[in-house]
Amino acid sequence: MPLHGIPAKDYLNREDELSYLRRLAGLRREDLASNVLLVGARGVGKTELLKQLFQSLFWEVQEVVPFYYSFKTAALKSTTFAKDYFTRFVKQYVAFSRKEPLYIDNVSMPLQRLMPVISSLGLDWMIDSISEFQENTDHGDLYGQMLSAISAPVNAAMRGGRPVLVMLDDFTASEDLHEAKRGDAPGLTSLFEESMKNSLCPHIITGSPAAKLEAIFSDPSLHKGTERMRLSPLPEDTALSLFASLLEKMNITCDRDAALELVRRLRGNPLYLRNMAKAASKMRKKTLGVRDLAECYSHEIMDGETAFYWSSVFAESIRDKGLRRTVLGLIMHQLVKGKADGRERLSKVLGVREAELGAALDVLELNDLGQNGDPVIGDFMHSLYMKEIEGKTAGEIREQVETKYSSPRDSSVFEMVIPMSEQAELVAARAVDQIGKNINLEPEVMNYLQLAIVECCINAIEHSGSYEKKIYLKFAASPQRLEIMIESPGRYFSPDSLEEDSPEKKMESGRKRGWGFTLMRKIMDEVKVERVHDRTRVTLVKKITKSEVRK
Amino acid sequence: MNSTPFNVGSRVVEDVAVIYPQGYLNNLAGEGLVAECGRYTQSGIRKIVVNFRETDLINSIGISLLLHIMEELQTAGGTLCFTDMSKVQLGIFEMLGLTKYFRFFPDENGALQFLNAAGE
Repeated sequence: MPLHGIPAKDYLNREDELSYLRRLAGLRREDLASNVLLVGARGVGKTELLKQLFQSLFWEVQEVVPFYYSFKTAALKSTTFAKDYFTRFVKQYVAFSRKEPLYIDNVSMPLQRLMPVISSLGLDWMIDSISEFQENTDHGDLYGQMLSAISAPVNAAMRGGRPVLVMLDDFTASEDLHEAKRGDAPGLTSLFEESMKNSLCPHIITGSPAAKLEAIFSDPSLHKGTERMRLSPLPEDTALSLFASLLEKMNITCDRDAALELVRRLRGNPLYLRNMAKAASKMRKKTLGVRDLAECYSHEIMDGETAFYWSSVFAESIRDKGLRRTVLGLIMHQLVKGKADGRERLSKVLGVREAELGAALDVLELNDLGQNGDPVIGDFMHSLYMKEIEGKTAGEIREQVETKYSSPRDSSVFEMVIPMSEQAELVAARAVDQIGKNINLEPEVMNYLQLAIVECCINAIEHSGSYEKKIYLKFAASPQRLEIMIESPGRYFSPDSLEEDSPEKKMESGRKRGWGFTLMRKIMDEVKVERVHDRTRVTLVKKITKSEVRK
Repeated sequence: MNSTPFNVGSRVVEDVAVIYPQGYLNNLAGEGLVAECGRYTQSGIRKIVVNFRETDLINSIGISLLLHIMEELQTAGGTLCFTDMSKVQLGIFEMLGLTKYFRFFPDENGALQFLNAAGE
């Protein structure tokens, strides 16, 4: 729905593009502009730009009629498409004339019901157009239907006295227009040619994959009179502002440095940024640090909307299972090697025939599945590879992704599992002792850290109630920071229940226990308790200052 | 931290019992310590010094048991002193706001002198 874009105030950093496209109809009439082929990576915001343009023209402009059509949701059987295209155009025209969005949203309303409204608007020529379209339909004239639908905006511009700005989204799908079954009527897309030539009816066309869109426009009939507008990713500061504003709406706070690192990884892609913010909300995060963002990210590329998006693209692009494995192998090879090998060598390394390899390479190139420096696609593909080729479990993949993005580059990561048995916490304390020595911590600091981990383990042993009598520990140590994660299965103890009484209150009462979390909070810089899958996780963070390191 | 197995030794100096907890002071060890103190209070001793020089680590349960000993002794009209605590051990009591409930001495002699003076 073209009027269902994000609020204009939240739409950042596309002012120049929007301003130019708003003026496109006027410029085109003066022969100062062409049709616009809007190109850019998937998720960069091409559809959103069209929606913002539609909204802006719909509410703020009288002299240019906006028409938005997405082929993504269109039925591509030509007769069905023609009816859908024509009906949507009429409804959007009437909605614009009356400034009444209801006509756009009401998809099922038959055109006949609109006749009185059209008549009251004095759009007699539109009534003629509807009759003409109906006649073509009644006579089973396929091309007549297609032409009267596609030329409807041009007719409206010529007879209605106002230019129509046509926005065709997901235009790459128009290649699949057909009569009875896919592929039986190639070239139906060229029917748009005449409409695009009309100066009263500028077209903005976009879609993905970029290579396919470019291929359609390599046809001279469409190529001529078309200019490219490339939509770039958001710059770093804008992307950061967008991410922060999305989180703010969900009452989530985020560590700035961690957010900046994420924004850089997401390459300023608004789709990814929105998905990440939504993931944080779904995972009921309140504050986001490096580890939280790593968790949200692993969720996104494995189970979230980003994963769903790329899974759909992948499934749509490759239906053959064998080819899918080859493509995954190829992507992984490129990820590991970081550069492209020659075909002959690739064929040997991957153990596939050159023909199959060629098909895999074509799939990658034509469907934007080559990473093009996008780490998100790389991570999505890697997780898919681990799942489908290596047979790893979701937990193992999640762990790997989280470790990749939650540990500082100069850190050492240690993992251990201890039983919930008497004095097992001392084993964990011993580990802290050695890790502390590795990073030259002052012995006194180390002793405090040992106490914190001892308290955390005791707490896990006392409260878990699980049959699985194990505590999972992970230590990430760098010269600047020590992070310890202690996970225990079983009952969750919520942070709310951890409020400990003051010493005075404790001294007056009979209960002298319950100092553990007070100690942890005093010793560590951060103590976070959360439920992660079936475990309670306590994260202890100590930021190491210069005075805490041995000279 | 050496975390040797917990043991508790003790001796009597005039009317003062001096107790030496060794190793890791946790729930099990703390109960041993409580029992040792209880043995002396039952025999009529009201002045107890706990010397921590051989104690490696005191966890929060150990602390709660020390509070318990202190409370028992106070009820009986006695006095409890702690000596030879490491900087970290003392720091833990400070963190928890418990220093005002105990008497701390750098060494055993200081505590014994204080208790003798208090008894005169």
